[in-house]
Amino acid sequence: MTPLYWEEIEIGGRRELGTYRFSEEEIVRFARKYDPQPFHVDPEAAKQSIFGGLIASGWHTAAIWMKLAIAERARSGGASPLLRAGVSPGYEDMRWLKPVRPGMTLRYASTTVGKVELKSRSDVAILLTRNEAHDAATGELVFAFTGKGLVQRRPR
Amino acid sequence: MEQAMTTPLHFEDFTLGRTFAGGPYAVTKEEIVEFAREFDPQPHHLDEEAAKTSLLGGLAASGWHTCAMTMRMFADGVIAKAAARGGIGSPEGRWMKPVRPGDVLRMEAEVIATKASESKPFGFVTFACKVFNQREQVATIQMTPIVATRSGA
Repeated sequence: MTPLYWEEIEIGGRRELGTYRFSEEEIVRFARKYDPQPFHVDPEAAKQSIFGGLIASGWHTAAIWMKLAIAERARSGGASPLLRAGVSPGYEDMRWLKPVRPGMTLRYASTTVGKVELKSRSDVAILLTRNEAHDAATGELVFAFTGKGLVQRRPR
Repeated sequence: MEQAMTTPLHFEDFTLGRTFAGGPYAVTKEEIVEFAREFDPQPHHLDEEAAKTSLLGGLAASGWHTCAMTMRMFADGVIAKAAARGGIGSPEGRWMKPVRPGDVLRMEAEVIATKASESKPFGFVTFACKVFNQREQVATIQMTPIVATRSGA
């Protein structure tokens, strides 16, 4: 299957991106470098926090979405809407709904929700995706955001 | 810009327009590649030659890496001074300029909205975190709400 151009991508398409288990070691390593709040880096101090224990940085949860999206794109056999994407102008409406604790496994998915043309250029256009991560054990929604990817348009 | 304070800042201290500084954050090629290998392994974040022909026109940090770097500047510049109890997300992030090896970033975090909880002893404070590079270009803007304890709570 040839990778899809922006014109060929259908709104409503949903792709399972896979699962990821968050270990305490990784949660602490990410947070020490990028988000050193006590409830992200110090298991003892975290017990005294409102979260009652160590939790992952929300940005760590987001970075794992990217990791899984790239992996899924590589194995999709041309079906991923992101095969002609790679650069993004940002995100919207990111929500950290439930704490992500050591040992939790999240199940990530991505749904195409919109397509936006650019006034400034005709070679690429924006694809909007709503991305979610659910707790694999309970099914609860833990994390969500709207992603924006620049996708190649069909050459004219 | 605010100086470090000894008493933690509470919800009431975060008045509209109050601005905090963060950074500097020196961006290295090693860190860009290390982050990308783990979280965003695409050629324009990993390989200088391949990046030249990409939309970014050269090696640049993953957008998620810029979020993480912004978080670090925000944690050190704002959260460390505040009676803060975590985040809830981010309504918007705009990645406007590529962040490249050798860039030195700084952050200005301005209070743009506040909302006290009606029933709980805290409030929500939203910051617009503008990240500038050494050429004084705005590289990214990130909206960051925090939950701050009310004074006396």
